Amino acid sequence: MTKLLSFISRTYVIIVFCIVFMPMAIILVISFSADSYLSFPPSGWSLKWYAAVLGNTGFMQGFRNSALIAVIVAGLSLVLGLPAAYALVRLDFPGRTLIRSLVIAPLVLPAMMLGLGILMVFTPAGLVATYPGLVLAHLVMTLPFSIRILQTALSNLGTDVDEAAMTLGARPLQVFVQITLPRLTPGVIASSAIALILSFDEIVLSLFIVGPRLQTLPVALYRYVDERTDPMVAVLAVLMITLSLAIVLIVERSIGFAKAFGR
Amino acid sequence: MTSPAMTAHIRIRELTFDYGGDRPAVDALSFDIAKGEFIGLLGPSGCGKSTTLRMFAGLLAPTSGQIVINGEDIVARPPWERNMGLVFQSYALFPHMTVAQNVAFGLRLRKVGKAETASRVAEALRAVRLDNFGSRRPAELSGGQQQRVAIARAIVIQPEILLLDEPLSNLDARLRDEMRFEIRDIQTRTGITTLFVTHDQQEALTMCDRIAVMNGGRLEQIGTPVAVYDQAATPFVANFIGRANSVPATLSHLSGAPQLRLEGQWLPAPRAEDLPVGVTDGTRVSAMVRPHAIRLAKPDGGLTARVVRRVFVGSVVEVELQLADNHTLIAELRPDSDGAALAEPGAEVAISWRPTDMRIFAA
Repeated sequence: MTKLLSFISRTYVIIVFCIVFMPMAIILVISFSADSYLSFPPSGWSLKWYAAVLGNTGFMQGFRNSALIAVIVAGLSLVLGLPAAYALVRLDFPGRTLIRSLVIAPLVLPAMMLGLGILMVFTPAGLVATYPGLVLAHLVMTLPFSIRILQTALSNLGTDVDEAAMTLGARPLQVFVQITLPRLTPGVIASSAIALILSFDEIVLSLFIVGPRLQTLPVALYRYVDERTDPMVAVLAVLMITLSLAIVLIVERSIGFAKAFGR
Repeated sequence: MTSPAMTAHIRIRELTFDYGGDRPAVDALSFDIAKGEFIGLLGPSGCGKSTTLRMFAGLLAPTSGQIVINGEDIVARPPWERNMGLVFQSYALFPHMTVAQNVAFGLRLRKVGKAETASRVAEALRAVRLDNFGSRRPAELSGGQQQRVAIARAIVIQPEILLLDEPLSNLDARLRDEMRFEIRDIQTRTGITTLFVTHDQQEALTMCDRIAVMNGGRLEQIGTPVAVYDQAATPFVANFIGRANSVPATLSHLSGAPQLRLEGQWLPAPRAEDLPVGVTDGTRVSAMVRPHAIRLAKPDGGLTARVVRRVFVGSVVEVELQLADNHTLIAELRPDSDGAALAEPGAEVAISWRPTDMRIFAA
């Protein structure tokens, strides 16, 4: 009986994994295709589409933009998110509970609506199709995550250790720099990694505010698919998945994912 | 007595913390602490003992009142300027530092020189018997060792007061007994005035010079362990520290030799000066007697009770007795005593105790 149950549950898990990973596997296979259109299985194998992507100035420019924006967004998410999380966890002020719930509002709103709103604000401000504009738009998406992750990490730390440092003679800033921050490292790495990935993959908000002179990689990919379908799309998808996976793996290897998310 | 500031190291005056609940968490607490004293703050959870400790450390600002140390009110000072050593139940060590760095933390902030820091850290670690653990990380230590590091870290700064917040509660029973004596021993050697918060009466009785018993934010009694045990000032203290039986009675003959009317029997009452103030002939009171003070004998026309149960618990025999009016008493007898032999379930026995073993409280 238990044997049968374990067989069923194992089969079930395998099926779920297949559903989740099959599309990615197909994309991976197609990326090595020698055909000039998307077909599965490919009739021949080659690396020519990888070469084509690397030689495509539009994609490479998009990649550079996305990478630069992602790094800046990750940095700003931390710099802005950490004090916010600290205030929401450690300080007592009127309206704290309300702000706590409002902070995650961008996560529950439809991205389309956010994008439209951002466009309405950015157009008169001259922020459309600029680096600062894209960074600001992405921050709307990443900050709730950063704040949430850092909030959890901070509340899991408790206050005893900081209070012990304080009674030993440490002023609040010394406590934060010498005691709180080092203990918060896993949360800092996790929130930065999430912000980096979210920004790099962001498409909906970007679509509203990119211009012909400033494109991100996901937008470039999206526009390309609109016109043509060749295995270059699969190559780009593989590259983007690899990058995200690499970041996740680095976090996992360096601190452990459970720890990073304050468990 | 030259000046009050010289007689008491610490004076607590009307210390109150009110966060707007039904009643203040700490309500007008006042008592003095002498230099080098080991004071226990004892009470059930929610009695305000930890709140008091946090006000001492500066982690909570009192609503009103004073904490005067060496003649100076420190209530307005931030925690980092109070020079207090605080030891938490959770140890609260710095996990990213070695044991030695943990202990050195307070000295580093005080800009103590390298050589002196090293020798003082070594000395503090020796005091808690962790000489060779300096280079370890807290995570590599057992709970008892971590607690000792926390104590070393607190005493190395030579604090004005050592504040211990339930330091033994996370340790297993055997280690807890060991640490009791160790903490007391360290405190005696260093002579640091210590405030020890606990809910465990056994810890308070065995460790403290004096015990401040708190209940509902108020100080019920402060005194030596013997005094709070033998001369409980309130029914709460009598019941919280050790076990106590309570029997309703009526006072009379207060002008001569005071008597107690209990269950239709006359018993000699304690001396008039040990009775609560304001009692008169006919005042209803409750008489408190410790289980070990009750003696059993063959019925002799005096106060009698029926034996309900007899339980052997090792060093003593516990006997449950029922009075005629259904009040229940617990007596603790030596297993080899005559009384224990008489205590057959269902038997009628005479019970008695010395007047001095009884505490009378207004009913």
